[in-house]
Amino acid sequence: MLLQVLLQLTVVVSLMILFGVGVVVGRRRLRETRLEWRTRVRAAAPITAVLAGVLLFNSVARDLSYDVAWLVDWNLTWPIYDLEGQFILWLQSYATPWATAYFSFIYIYGYVFLLVFPLVAYFALSNTRPMRELLTAYALNYALGWLLYATIVAYGPRNMLPEVVALLYDTYPQYQHLTRQVNRNTNVFPSLHTSLAATVTFLAWRTREAYPIWNVVAAVLGVSVAISTMYLGIHWVIDVVAGIVLAYVSVVLAGHLVGRWSLRSLRGGR
Amino acid sequence: MYGSASGTNRRSGGPSRRTMLAAAGLGLSVATSGCVREVRSAVNRNDVGQLSLTITTLPADGDRESILLAREIRSTLEAVGIAVEIEMRSEEEFRRSVLVNNDFDVYVGQHPGDVDPDFLYETVHSRYAEEAGWQNPFGFADLTVDDLLEDQREVDGDEREEAVTDVLETIAADAPFVPICAADEYRLARTDRVDGWGDDHPTTRLGYLGLEMVDADAILRAAHTDPRASENLNPLAVEYRNYGTLVEVLYDSLSTVVDGEYEPWLANDWTFDDGTMTVTLREDCRFHDGTPLTADDVAFTYRFLADTTLGDSAFPSPTPRYRGHVAAVDEIDVLEDHRLELTVETGEAVAERALSVPILPEHVWRERASAASVPGVRLAEGTTEAVVTDNLPVVGSGPYQFDDHTVREHVTLERYDDHFTLREGVDLPEPTAGAIRIGIDPRSTSAIELVESDDADVTSLPLESYVVDDVLESTGDDVAVVESPSWSFYHLGFNVRKAPFTNPNFRRVVARLVDQSWLVESVFDGHARPIATPVSDEWTPEELAWDGEDPVAPFLGAAGDVDTGAARDAFEAAGFRYADDGTLRVRR
Repeated sequence: MLLQVLLQLTVVVSLMILFGVGVVVGRRRLRETRLEWRTRVRAAAPITAVLAGVLLFNSVARDLSYDVAWLVDWNLTWPIYDLEGQFILWLQSYATPWATAYFSFIYIYGYVFLLVFPLVAYFALSNTRPMRELLTAYALNYALGWLLYATIVAYGPRNMLPEVVALLYDTYPQYQHLTRQVNRNTNVFPSLHTSLAATVTFLAWRTREAYPIWNVVAAVLGVSVAISTMYLGIHWVIDVVAGIVLAYVSVVLAGHLVGRWSLRSLRGGR
Repeated sequence: MYGSASGTNRRSGGPSRRTMLAAAGLGLSVATSGCVREVRSAVNRNDVGQLSLTITTLPADGDRESILLAREIRSTLEAVGIAVEIEMRSEEEFRRSVLVNNDFDVYVGQHPGDVDPDFLYETVHSRYAEEAGWQNPFGFADLTVDDLLEDQREVDGDEREEAVTDVLETIAADAPFVPICAADEYRLARTDRVDGWGDDHPTTRLGYLGLEMVDADAILRAAHTDPRASENLNPLAVEYRNYGTLVEVLYDSLSTVVDGEYEPWLANDWTFDDGTMTVTLREDCRFHDGTPLTADDVAFTYRFLADTTLGDSAFPSPTPRYRGHVAAVDEIDVLEDHRLELTVETGEAVAERALSVPILPEHVWRERASAASVPGVRLAEGTTEAVVTDNLPVVGSGPYQFDDHTVREHVTLERYDDHFTLREGVDLPEPTAGAIRIGIDPRSTSAIELVESDDADVTSLPLESYVVDDVLESTGDDVAVVESPSWSFYHLGFNVRKAPFTNPNFRRVVARLVDQSWLVESVFDGHARPIATPVSDEWTPEELAWDGEDPVAPFLGAAGDVDTGAARDAFEAAGFRYADDGTLRVRR
């Protein structure tokens, strides 16, 4: 069942990306890319390696963060619930089948598209800085997120208020298999879905002159992803706010870090 | 004296109110020494504040009903002026807090229960208040209850029934915990590959034996909603076991439950004669690694469970599971290779229950008597390797042997072809499936989908109640709903070691704030049986049978809505005080 879901996800997102490339990137940039791809790959290679390392660590150490968090035993679920109370219930009181379908689609497909498409789009720019910033910000999100997951135990709304929420898994149980590979149920603070989506949105704003359409699309998708995590009962508002803060920190840090070191300067520079 | 006072100040970062007042009083004392006495009398009193407590429970992923119950109970308690927080802990951490460390105020959870009411012996006898496990997590101690529990162990038949009734009535009045309900157990099973579901209870080993496989030797695929089975298969690890079904399949015990009665299993036969149980083992049985299973292993098991340090530590450290079982056995003597004599101080019924513990291989478990160690950390005394090991791979002697596992994905068992049930002339249910693959699937909805789409044969744990109506309404072709009786029960447990839960009158009022009938409707969609006593239907005395309301602690209110005036009166009658703002005040 997992394979089937994965296959479906790959096909749908690939089609979305092809469409996006046609509309957003344009033929001219693709032609340039065909000529310059070697230098761009070289420019992106170091940070891609770093990101790959972080992701690898994340996949290996996901269970570790869960165990460490219970050793630290700093349980924030009740303080969060006490603070924001019934917001999620209020949000879900507007639930309609169409909204559930839309936000479920956004949570799974929209999210993956939002993360993968800018990699393609920024690769098609002759200036490699946006691409490097994006990859750096992704790596920072995952690394900082892991640290928070390893210190804080927090359950999401669907675990606290099961009678009304958990819309995604009860409406589309097959996605349980997909997200279970990626998440432990105590890792809700901050919302990594939101932070990665917001990262893309922030960077899309920076590159709005090169990609004006993408700026708008990324903003709509970014906001939708943030709402979907709450609407589907997966995250609290506080997780989402923390996710946005994490995204902001990652983007600012990435801006400072990118270009500070390069392979050339490490080799002694010329 | 002067030095110690300033030392206190430095630690607390400034003079405390008490020392300030004392100092001020000291100044005044020259003038008025009578005043100091008054100040002392006024200052040296504990503060009074609103009663606040924390309900420890499980997140919905582990136990959807418990968090719902906890939230309903919270709103009732808040309505009567108690401040309540809820703390959700994962399955393992919940059990570690409540059962091992007794670090809780009150908790809401499910007790595995038992077919025999003797489980109450370890659950509420004061002797076990200091031990870890399902034995007396409440810290309850009552001389009358102790005596009654011991009485019911020593007698059989009608006499025992009466003794058990006495126990149940006294416990209901003292309320160390409030029984809420026993959830109906529904499972979904495919019938096109396997038949015979529900002939024996699916939480026991027999539930997985004697099934009629259409394709002989095929793999039985279970969708299991609890990931812990894939992480740990230690029969003694109370944090990881619910009913212990997998342990029963992997290990043999001398007796096994058939239709509520204990029947011979690994024992060929036993005789009971006034406190002496003579057990004959089946011959030529072997553990999964080929080592012969002898009477020595059986004797070792009982000694080991009674003290997992095997006498190596300054004090015994008994097993957190099967505690009441082994406590019944006073002495164990190996007569021959396959004959043993158990001396018990109990009647036959309790002695037969004592025979149902898993028989552990001595050559594997003896070395686990050593103290567990974590570099750089001082562990609690008496924490042996035996209670912390994940016990993977398992070496048992049961009808299935451990094959493979991936954490949070699956655990796979393979038929043990040398098992005695497969011998000719042994008329017991045998392992028919070639293997059992327990696939982890954390939600009932997706587990149902796996069964419906022929990716699994059975949902091995009971379905959560909110999906029961859906499956009762319609199922796919060749899919059946299996209903089984339930003896596990939801309850609210008090930590009787802490005030005000020390006070039985307080607990009795709280018991009257729990509306079982209404909770069954609202939380379980009606798929549960409200209870006033924690034993199976057959053992429930008439006086404690549910008759529309709790016969001992009827709800103070109606349809889930608490009558706050009546509740307040009840608390006040028990000696508690209310402030004008409606909050319940207690001394802190």
